[in-house]
Amino acid sequence: MMTVETPEMTTWESLQDVFEIVSRRGPDPIILSSIPYLPGDEHRHTHFPVVLGPPGRVISMAVGLRAALPDTPLLLVTAADSATLGTNHLIHTARRNIGMTVLMLYSDLLETGDIPVDRTGWTSTGYQVEMEQAETPLEWAIALQASLVGRGSLLNPSEFANLIVEAVETPGFSVIGVTGDPTLRTEVMSRRSDWPEYFATYRAWSEGMAPSPPSSIRPVPPAQPRSSTPARIEVRIAGIGGQGVKLAGTVLSEAAALGEGLWATQFGDYGSATRGGPSRVDVVMGSRPISYPAADNSDILIVLSREAAAAHLTHAGPGAACVADEGTVEPGPGGPLIVPITQLAREHAGTPIATGVTSLGCVAALSDAVALSSLKIALPTRIPERSVESNLRAMEAAYKLTADLIRGNQT
Amino acid sequence: MSTPSFMHSNQAIAEGAIAAGCRFYAGYPITPSTEIAESLSGRLPEVGGVYIQMEDEIASMAAVIGASLGGLKSATATSGPGFSLMQENLGFAVVGEVPCVIVNVQRVGPSTGLPTKVAQGDVMQARWGTHGDHRIITLYPSSAQEAFDLTVKAFNLAERFRTPVILLSDAVVAGLLEKVDIPDPADLEVVSRARPTVAPEQYRPFDYSSSDIPPLAEFGSGYRFHITGLLHDESGAPTEDSEVVARWWAYMQRKLDDHLDEILDWDEILLDDADTAVVAYGCTARSAEHAVELARERGHRVGLLKLKTIWPFGDAIIDQLADRIDRFVVPELNLGQIRLEVQRVVGGRAKVEGINRADGLQISPEQILDVIAEKALA
Repeated sequence: MMTVETPEMTTWESLQDVFEIVSRRGPDPIILSSIPYLPGDEHRHTHFPVVLGPPGRVISMAVGLRAALPDTPLLLVTAADSATLGTNHLIHTARRNIGMTVLMLYSDLLETGDIPVDRTGWTSTGYQVEMEQAETPLEWAIALQASLVGRGSLLNPSEFANLIVEAVETPGFSVIGVTGDPTLRTEVMSRRSDWPEYFATYRAWSEGMAPSPPSSIRPVPPAQPRSSTPARIEVRIAGIGGQGVKLAGTVLSEAAALGEGLWATQFGDYGSATRGGPSRVDVVMGSRPISYPAADNSDILIVLSREAAAAHLTHAGPGAACVADEGTVEPGPGGPLIVPITQLAREHAGTPIATGVTSLGCVAALSDAVALSSLKIALPTRIPERSVESNLRAMEAAYKLTADLIRGNQT
Repeated sequence: MSTPSFMHSNQAIAEGAIAAGCRFYAGYPITPSTEIAESLSGRLPEVGGVYIQMEDEIASMAAVIGASLGGLKSATATSGPGFSLMQENLGFAVVGEVPCVIVNVQRVGPSTGLPTKVAQGDVMQARWGTHGDHRIITLYPSSAQEAFDLTVKAFNLAERFRTPVILLSDAVVAGLLEKVDIPDPADLEVVSRARPTVAPEQYRPFDYSSSDIPPLAEFGSGYRFHITGLLHDESGAPTEDSEVVARWWAYMQRKLDDHLDEILDWDEILLDDADTAVVAYGCTARSAEHAVELARERGHRVGLLKLKTIWPFGDAIIDQLADRIDRFVVPELNLGQIRLEVQRVVGGRAKVEGINRADGLQISPEQILDVIAEKALA
């Protein structure tokens, strides 16, 4: 049992003694607070490191410090009121059981006037608290299953110091109510030890992981376009969410860059909805670096829904090669080539999610820039292995149908 | 040697952060920045770093400050709504001189706005979003390659100048999938904050008399000092002494203003013989570059000034151009935030015109070309 014999100390001096006691057990404690002036402080300040931050926010600042400093005691000195400003932070820091100790000061330690404004729920004065329930942050901390919740009085310094040391040594999140009322019994109100501490668990989980750039990052060779390739080819694929439009753009741009040695950029425009809303992807590729990434003047336009047909076909220039999914436009002379893309996707891949990838067969048939063989190389890294073969079959079928239609138109 | 890869700009930001030595990320995912969090949640544990999804953006920014004080290069990423929430603690990082990087991938605001649509409406918020006068650094890429390069630069500047650095992006730049050359680590310039060399008793964490940036000791390393949002003296202790505060202001201005050569970054494209200069940044610079290509084909003498550092504003660059340029065209996905800056510097020496929209669509090259051609006909 440690003893502290300093009966007439100010709040700050008493806390300072507690910090000293904590410091004897290892690394310097870091003090976090949002109270610039405590009775007895007058900027004489503790010689320990201090972060004096916005009320409540210091709880989250301590989260970052804990990530950086696994073994340093973190002591938050806060008013109960300012903790409520950071209740959100209190809840989540307790939930993650991040290692720190919050010293929640009862208002008798903060007020120098005659009327204490008690918002801790220990007593109630002042007209506002007659109109609303008092805050009970220690009860919240218990409800949040903090590792240790307790309270004590600075006027019983030895018991109090022991409680703080116990809180610091308890892994995880602890909250201690602090008062200047000598009649308050120092006690542990709640203990919970079967709860993982976030960063300790994180470090154990990540230990030994090796750097491995994700498979979605694809090494590409330097651009080596053929001399016959135009400086800029604009491809737009438009449909609705759930058709795999974005994936199609990714595969096409990678095929252009990896397989054909072209400069390529992919740019998408999606609504908030993941399914059913309009979805569009633009791929611009060519023999020169791409400045503007959108295909406003599409050379190749694929529409996969009625809405997309209505929105984009009218804007297609006279030289544009257009393909519409069956059922999205009325067939007629001068209209787009009609290919049953969704039907091919269902038939070969068994799902309309493959519609976008299937439509790449049309793109390959319409342009020399990206060969079917390049698409075949780009696709496998972007979809599950089990789907590769069926998606390729759908793509090839769309290629063949489109090529046949083009030949038919030419004869 | 470098490794060219195909990736989205948001992923390039994550890779840039890893390459620059970022080892802590706290954030709350939000469209269109989410892929940055997603990438770093996988990459950071692989390199011994820490990723944490916080309860909100206020907490994210606070945790970033804490981790940086603990010695880790730290970052967060968000979009407009989250950027608004970060302003309180961003101010703390400015006053406490805490190095960190905040990425804001812009979408249409105010408030929830158009969550998936592109805008550049937070340019002035980046400059003045936190209350009180202050200096800030803001960079803005327009391609996946620049996203990587400027992320590295953002960390380097943050560490060099002990300041938060904002990396602006936008929904279009974020979604670009392009080739990125990632240099070998040996070829990449990576700056880390200066650490004190004096004994702990002699350490002055805010030495305003110094001509350079005072070193920053990490907390828990034996150097005991205070970091506070209150204005403070050289030891870090709060002060209301107006002489000390005046010295602090002078230092806070000097520390960026005296080093603009290290901070400012821009590209001049076809400006040598130009009479018209398009000034653009982010996704709008891509439209502008294409417009300049098209205009040149039609014989217009027009060039592009692409801003990569937005704040501090490149007064000297505009000033020098204003002596020989007749006309500045400033396309922006806002109502004219940078146009006013250009006008301020030009000071009537040349015409300054804006092209502005904030309806979620991009400015097309044709829209810029029309404005360029208008004048030529007149």
